[in-house]
Amino acid sequence: MSFSKDSAVQRAKTDLAERLSISEDEIKTVSATEKDFPDMSLGAPVDDEMSAQMISSGWQINLSANGKNYEYRADKYQLRLRGDNGTNYVIES
Amino acid sequence: MNRNNFWINFCIAVVLITSAAILGQIGRWQSMLHKNMADFSTKSTPKPITVKRSEAESEPEVLVKFRSNVNLAEIKKIAAKNNDRVEDEIESVKGLVAIDDLDNADTKKVAAQYAQMSDFVAYAEPVFEVKLDDPVTNSPQDLLLRENDANTVLPNDPMFKDQWALNNVGQNGGKAKADLNALNAWLKTQGSSDVVVAVLDSGVDYTHPDLVANMWIRPDNIPQYRDDELGTFNDLHGFNAADNQSDPMDDNGHGTHCAGIIGAEGDNDEGIAGINWKVEIMPLKFMGRGGFGTTKDAIEAINYAIERKRAGVNVKVINASWGSTMYSKALEDAIRAAGEEGILFVAAAGNNSTNNDKQPHYPSNYKLPNVISVAALDRNDQLASFSNYGVNTVHVAAPGKDILSTWLNDGYREASGTSMATPYVAGVAALVLASEPKLSMEKLRERVLQSVDKLDSLNGKVESGGRINAAKALGE
Repeated sequence: MSFSKDSAVQRAKTDLAERLSISEDEIKTVSATEKDFPDMSLGAPVDDEMSAQMISSGWQINLSANGKNYEYRADKYQLRLRGDNGTNYVIES
Repeated sequence: MNRNNFWINFCIAVVLITSAAILGQIGRWQSMLHKNMADFSTKSTPKPITVKRSEAESEPEVLVKFRSNVNLAEIKKIAAKNNDRVEDEIESVKGLVAIDDLDNADTKKVAAQYAQMSDFVAYAEPVFEVKLDDPVTNSPQDLLLRENDANTVLPNDPMFKDQWALNNVGQNGGKAKADLNALNAWLKTQGSSDVVVAVLDSGVDYTHPDLVANMWIRPDNIPQYRDDELGTFNDLHGFNAADNQSDPMDDNGHGTHCAGIIGAEGDNDEGIAGINWKVEIMPLKFMGRGGFGTTKDAIEAINYAIERKRAGVNVKVINASWGSTMYSKALEDAIRAAGEEGILFVAAAGNNSTNNDKQPHYPSNYKLPNVISVAALDRNDQLASFSNYGVNTVHVAAPGKDILSTWLNDGYREASGTSMATPYVAGVAALVLASEPKLSMEKLRERVLQSVDKLDSLNGKVESGGRINAAKALGE
């Protein structure tokens, strides 16, 4: 699996729709922008994970649904959901 | 002819003769005038004078700055003693002269000969020939050396000029000398293949042309690695804890980048130079294609390094360009165990621009006697904007921004992070061990931390207050 920006956005939408049990049509892409992240976990590490400390380029994907915003982060090899409470999720890698 | 006609004819003849005489004189005057004009014209636009220089009048070859207590007469005596000649005194810089070597010896050697006379000479450098179609940045040999660097040896790696961390001459807006002082360090040692540095990372591309000569290969007298639970591994090139197999090939690039900083083969006409021209790099893979891995796999790989040390492999340093805010006692214990085997553990401080004294980052924050925590500097000796810091928890800083090193597919790229600063520290530690192989891990750590160049920008930011200096660490 290798993501492009568009395919990462689409995969994020699919993930969010499943999590919220809603249609993808109800999810709005607020922004999808290139961004440098502090490490190779894209600044969104999960428990028991160590990541390479190299500045890494990827995309920050902001989606909205049901009046709430959700932040995904992706690069060509992975997609992560950044949780509000500091709990992050690896969606695909 | 009547009398009247005679006088008329006589007057006409006189007039004609006089006129002819006058015209003749005018002609001579005109001729003289033309000659003088021609002479004048020739004198006012002289042809270029070409004077063939003799061998003894050849171009000056070295610039030597003598100390203020040496006068010109003494300078000429010194030059004559070396069978050289003072070609010119550079009046604007007291003591600086251009010297012509009458033996036509190698200019670098001539400069080095003068540089060695340190009682009389402040510095000496070859005169570099600058051609309009050959910019000075085109090859490492064209690099402008700094003062007192004339007797150093530059590696012939074509990308060396872009390695500001090793030799910062102010390229790309950097600050001259904001570097590891590698040129002076290499006067003492360029590394040793007796020293093994483990790169605990995403693996290493051990076939990369700039790394292949410096990769560790299990010697025949060291048995295959055996783990009671995981089985036996034909660990020819290292170990892959991420996939529980022997092949540590890198599929991310990060580990290959770190390996190049530590030990890309130097002076091999290829790519870059590592801080060690010669060393043995042992790849320990625990992170996958994405550049992240588990603490468990990191521990497995550290365990491998410890076991190999016990089996007789001279593993002295582990490079850990990774981390997290998650504390793991098991990881801490594994690193402690490595220390008990005499292995130094060099760890990245992290890239969140935060204070590790307040928000710990691991493994760099483990308070263990074998851990060195590393912050990153930019090419102007400033703490990199992304770098973590902590006067009680981060020990030292090293170049970590826009660092050129090896990458996948026989490539090279620049990268930034405390990931890049860490292998410079691990590499300097290996360089010290090349020079002093019996040095204990504790003394090695002390040496690296106490030989820093103190920087105002690091005051209150890192424990040592400075940037590592390879030459000082070697006692140069």
